[in-house]
Amino acid sequence: MADDLMSSQKSHRTRKSGPTMRKKTEIDKKKRGVVDNKQQNPKAFSVRSAVKAKRLKIRAVEKEQRRIHLPTIDRTYGEPPPFVVVVQGPPGVGKSLVIKSLVKHFTHQNVPEVRGPITIVQGKKKRIQFVECPNDINGMIDCAKVADLAILLIDGSYGFEMETFEFLNIMQVHGFPKVMGVLTHLDKFKDVKKLRKTKQRLKHRFWTEIYSGAKLFYLSGLIHGKYSQREVLNLSRFISVIKFHPLSWRTAHPYVLADRLEDVTPPEKVQMDKKCDRNITLYGYLRGCNLKKGMKVHIAGVGDYSLAGVTALPDPCPLPSAAKKKGLRDREKLFYAPMSGIGDLLYDKDAVYININDHLVQYSKTEDENGEPANKGRGKDVGEDLVKSLQNTKYSVDEKLEKTFINLFGKKTIASSERKLEEDAELSPEGSDTESEDSQSGDDVDDHDMDVDSNGGKIKHKTELHGGRLRRKAIFKDEDSDKDNDDEEAEDAESDGNEDEDGEDDSVYDSQESDEDDVEESEDKVLGNISKWKEPLKEKGRKKNPNLMQIVYGAPASSATALINQNHENSDDEEDFFKPKGEHSKNLGGGSDAGHVNSEDCSKFVNYGNLKNWKEKEVCEDIRNRFTTGDWSKAALRNKNSVAGGEGDDDELYGDFEDLETGEKHNDDENMDSGTNEDVEDAERRLKKLALRAKFDAQSNKTELEDDDNDNGDEINPRNSEAKEPGFVDKLKEELELRKQMNLLELNDLDEDTRIEIEGFRTGTYLRLEIHNVPYEMVDFFDPCHPVLIGGIGFGEDSAGYMQARLKKHRWHKKVLKTRDPIIVSIGWRRYQTIPVYAIEDRNGRHRMLKYTPEHMHCLAMFWGPLVPPNTGFVAFQNLSSNQTGFRITATSVVLEYNHQTHISKKIKLVGHPCKIKKNTAFIKDMFTSDLEIARFEGSSVRTVSGIRGQVKKAGKNMLDNNAQEGIARCTFEDQIKMSDIVFLRAWTNVEVPQFYNPLTTALQPRDKTWTGMKTFRELRSEHNIPIPVNKDSLYKPIERKIKKFNPLVIPKKLQAELPFASKPKNKPARKRPSLDDRRAVVMEPDERKAHAVVQHYKLMNKVKMTKKKAKEQEKRKAYEAEKAKKEVISKKRNREERRERYRTEDKQKKKMRRGQD
Amino acid sequence: MGKTTYKRYKGSQSFRQRLLLSTLSSTPIIMDEIRADDMIPGLLRHEMSLLRLFETVSDDCVVEVNETGTRLKYKPGIIMGGKNLVHSCALTRSMGYYLEPMLLLGLFGKKPLSIRLKGVTDDHKDLSVDTICNATLHILKRFGVPSEGLDLKIEARGVAPEGGGEVLLTVPNVQNLTAVQWVEEGMVKKIRGWTFSARVSSDFEHSMRFAARGIFNNLLPDVHIFNDHKSGPAAGKSPGYGISLVAETTAGCYISADTAVSCGRAEETGELDVERQERKPAEDTGVEIASWLLQEIEKGGVVDSTHQGLLFILCALCQQDVSKVRVGPLSPYGVETLRNLKEFLGVTFSFRPDPSTGTVILTCVGSGLINLSRKLS
Repeated sequence: MADDLMSSQKSHRTRKSGPTMRKKTEIDKKKRGVVDNKQQNPKAFSVRSAVKAKRLKIRAVEKEQRRIHLPTIDRTYGEPPPFVVVVQGPPGVGKSLVIKSLVKHFTHQNVPEVRGPITIVQGKKKRIQFVECPNDINGMIDCAKVADLAILLIDGSYGFEMETFEFLNIMQVHGFPKVMGVLTHLDKFKDVKKLRKTKQRLKHRFWTEIYSGAKLFYLSGLIHGKYSQREVLNLSRFISVIKFHPLSWRTAHPYVLADRLEDVTPPEKVQMDKKCDRNITLYGYLRGCNLKKGMKVHIAGVGDYSLAGVTALPDPCPLPSAAKKKGLRDREKLFYAPMSGIGDLLYDKDAVYININDHLVQYSKTEDENGEPANKGRGKDVGEDLVKSLQNTKYSVDEKLEKTFINLFGKKTIASSERKLEEDAELSPEGSDTESEDSQSGDDVDDHDMDVDSNGGKIKHKTELHGGRLRRKAIFKDEDSDKDNDDEEAEDAESDGNEDEDGEDDSVYDSQESDEDDVEESEDKVLGNISKWKEPLKEKGRKKNPNLMQIVYGAPASSATALINQNHENSDDEEDFFKPKGEHSKNLGGGSDAGHVNSEDCSKFVNYGNLKNWKEKEVCEDIRNRFTTGDWSKAALRNKNSVAGGEGDDDELYGDFEDLETGEKHNDDENMDSGTNEDVEDAERRLKKLALRAKFDAQSNKTELEDDDNDNGDEINPRNSEAKEPGFVDKLKEELELRKQMNLLELNDLDEDTRIEIEGFRTGTYLRLEIHNVPYEMVDFFDPCHPVLIGGIGFGEDSAGYMQARLKKHRWHKKVLKTRDPIIVSIGWRRYQTIPVYAIEDRNGRHRMLKYTPEHMHCLAMFWGPLVPPNTGFVAFQNLSSNQTGFRITATSVVLEYNHQTHISKKIKLVGHPCKIKKNTAFIKDMFTSDLEIARFEGSSVRTVSGIRGQVKKAGKNMLDNNAQEGIARCTFEDQIKMSDIVFLRAWTNVEVPQFYNPLTTALQPRDKTWTGMKTFRELRSEHNIPIPVNKDSLYKPIERKIKKFNPLVIPKKLQAELPFASKPKNKPARKRPSLDDRRAVVMEPDERKAHAVVQHYKLMNKVKMTKKKAKEQEKRKAYEAEKAKKEVISKKRNREERRERYRTEDKQKKKMRRGQD
Repeated sequence: MGKTTYKRYKGSQSFRQRLLLSTLSSTPIIMDEIRADDMIPGLLRHEMSLLRLFETVSDDCVVEVNETGTRLKYKPGIIMGGKNLVHSCALTRSMGYYLEPMLLLGLFGKKPLSIRLKGVTDDHKDLSVDTICNATLHILKRFGVPSEGLDLKIEARGVAPEGGGEVLLTVPNVQNLTAVQWVEEGMVKKIRGWTFSARVSSDFEHSMRFAARGIFNNLLPDVHIFNDHKSGPAAGKSPGYGISLVAETTAGCYISADTAVSCGRAEETGELDVERQERKPAEDTGVEIASWLLQEIEKGGVVDSTHQGLLFILCALCQQDVSKVRVGPLSPYGVETLRNLKEFLGVTFSFRPDPSTGTVILTCVGSGLINLSRKLS
């Protein structure tokens, strides 16, 4: 039975042929990784010629190499700032609607109005900041400088507009960010075919401008005044997958795109003088590179300022915590748009503002505060009375509140509190006024706070609303929290200072959020995202020990004294290396303070006094292990120990650090145990691992991209990929990655404050920048729709100098540019007007001035302005007004170098006349004005018009009479010249570039006003009706040559005497009567007469004959003509009739046919 | 920006560094009350000479000194560099004083620098030219300075008071410096030395060598001290002799010590001759310098105390990467350097003392200074 069963089981027979077999072999091959590159038509791609094959290969390799860029190190650690997505387009194309739709899509929030940047959390690791590009060129420039992605909106029904191309060009010179096109207004097309054609046409035009295959997106139309959800979704997906690459200018300079501006000038100052310089604070994410505290910044359209204060604020729009989950929760879809009038909470360094919509504010109460007017104005209602009485209880709360503070801060006297109350009373009506103004003008400045500086302590008033009730909260803070001050405080408080500060901070923040009436209740914590931003605050209050850093960097005087004290108190060996020895010795040497200031500058510090006796063996043994003759293992231990020992010893430096991703806080206690065992090698290995991982990540991304490329049809030769061994670039990449990881490791070791001190604020932090003494116009004319760009200034970039640039007139600008016509350039962060001088480099390296830029060629431009590093691009304009028809960009350019002086020269032709000629030497006047000038030109060559060459010798003063005027030069020529000759000296002269630049202060005037700076000559002339000056000598005139009058030839008498008689001039007197010769009659001989008569007869006969013949011919012609005319008439007639006949028949036929058709 | 804002300082403290950093970061400075209360007020000769040197190397810089020399206004220009430059240094300080800033300044010039300095080559106050040749240049190479074109050629010796020495310094340009992680000191594998004698008997050299070698004998066999006896015009104008010792470690660190002995120049400075001591025998000088070298080795760190300032400046000038170096106890010059760096470049260092070895590990993020004056090709 069993056997039967076995036998009945047939072994499986695999297919040997057929579709199944084919499929299976395919799968099998794929599994084994066998690539079967069988082509359809292999012969077509086979190599025929070795030369061709070689060329092809070279080309492929070159293409590959061209694709490779030098890897750049990415120095942005930690969370990246939100990417700036600039939405740009000509007016009325639907920019704000696109932003609104996208915001709605990402956050499910409606934005009533797009003003200023809108930050949203888009994904788990990604944030986006939407910026609407204003329609004037200044705004476009600033937007182009900050954009990570530009969405260009194009009105499909109208086609491309100049704005789009202008924006593209601006972006190109300032580092080309990613660009995406969006076609709108496509619902205006009724004809489907026309729509398709237009799309096609616009797409291809777009591709020529950017690169073929650039993404152009279509928004087909509006549904209920919104773009269709599906299309917005698609657009959002495209936005979210775009990868951003670093741009060189931006990675070298920090910048902030402010999403909020506050005026923090003391109100008294403003009251005293409305036009006083203001103090402002600007808020925004730090981008580009790290910002250090002392850095100078440029506010676009305002000017250069040094930062009065920089504070890192908690992120108003933080990324969600890194819990493992898919997608975002609804409450994590945050968004932040302080200038758009949403997001009611505003966090400042030391306060929180709550924005109240105007319609929610009940002004009845404030009227009540004002007192009489309210009572007079309206009759009292019972209900109203009741409400007001209820409201009045608020005062008691206020008082209570104040009392509590008095309890807290013992220093506050009653008098001061009274004063504060008075001030309150004074200020409150004012506050209401401003509010009402706000509501009227729709101004965006939405802070209702008052800062009052009363003897050092700062009091903040805030109006806030709780359940329809207006409340004013006062917050006390001793001083603007100065860093040092804080530190001191912390040091004073030592152990409990930490908690104290925390408590205070909490109270400040929480009281704004809590719904309870009780203000004092501050222990309550709101969990969720809001609580997250508070966490870093807790770390601030960490205690600090005086360490080496403070000794070195602390106030020099104080530290010195501290050191001295230390020296005197305890000169232990342990402390020894804490103190700079110089101070010690100087102190011992009895150097006074002045001596210290003027101490000798000497890098050597030698003190032979305390040299050990190294001849002794025991002494030598101490450092035996520092030599190769010593114990190698012990020497190795020295290095190891130093790392590990430092860790165990100094918890301050190796202290707690916070894992930014997990939000987990690591304490040094845990670290201590594990940390001591660590090796240097271990660290190294770990680093390498990290680097490798990062590299792998990068590569996998890249391969994905490449795959995409492949799909797109961009073929990569399989042979190429074979050749992709770890080459130079890969090695470089690895190195950079290693460096980055090292940096990270080192920086993460430090505690927060030291880290900021050392590397500055990291990119991605939300900063509050305080800037003092800004012109009041900036606040007055502040327009949230215009981006406020604050860019850091690097070393040497705040000083002005000459720059040399390679410039090309834009091909769309109609006119060539004229030397010394002012242009407006946008370069680096700045925009300014300057006067360029154009030049071109000659073969011999001379820079020759050009009056006008070449039409289609690069030329050099030299101008004066704040310096930028070489290789910075810039764009030039002539006029910024928006109502220009043409293309506004006049030129694009790149800075080559900068210099302290310019070497541009132009031709000069000095003209002179001889005043005295002595053989080959001539004295030339009018060419030079002084002898000094001649000395300068000694030895230079001159030439006469007739081509006689010569040389300038010396001033000819002493050669001529002593009273000769200055500036007569002695020249020698190769031949004698004539007095009528003109002498030329051709030379080169230096051209000065004007030291002029005028920063564009567009933010200090109404935005719709066009900025006017220096005008061009042409503009001035047309304004003042001044004709163009004409040099009469330069005009072309018809050449008039006088007829030369020659004097009669005079032959000297001596010569005359020697001449033969025939050649001698004969002086015959003029006769009155004709001479005999003329008068005599001629009589012919008879033969002659006969012959003559015969000839005459013949002539006469011939003449008669000819006249007869002529008459006959004429008659004949007449007859012929008449005949011809007759014939013509007849033929004409015939022709006409013929034609008529033909047409008639034709017509008839046609009619017939038509009838037949019908 | 129309008005230039000057950084203000009092006194001539760290004169060289302030000038150097002011030029590199292009911040104008004013120094007030320079030795206002001294017997000889105002800038000294070598300081004036240094200013002139800065003027020759850079273009468009403005130096204003008031009548008494107590106030200096310095507006830096563009570092040009260039070939065939000559500068005769004031004899009050030796070449090391001028070379230290010049090395760094040359790196960030428009063209490679090649300058001939004339004056005192060796001195007991400053680095000797031998040390610069054999130790300082190696430190520069660590930071990515190309070794070709980086050279110091000693053409003639000259000691105080008359000088007469001549050196030719060539420094290449760099775009930027690369950050270093330089904490490993390694072990001393060899010691090299250079002695010289000018216008004196070479016996001095021999005795110095002999004495110095005697010290090292206990520790290392690989010690070699070269001698360089000059005579004639190459020997300068004054008699003197000197020694420079450099210890090279397995990790490529160079630790140096040097001095030179010559007649004092007390009458020039006008100060009371505190320095005039009875001259020691040459053996003692050899022993002293050898011991000093050992002392430097004992202190630890990747450079000796004299080079600390230079090292810190180099770290601060690097790209915006983390540099980490280990040095021995901070020298006063080093501390001054750190303070100046913070003021001019905004670079702050963090310190991690290492008690087991008595060294300090300094960490900083470079200022990211790039050579702005170089032309874009």
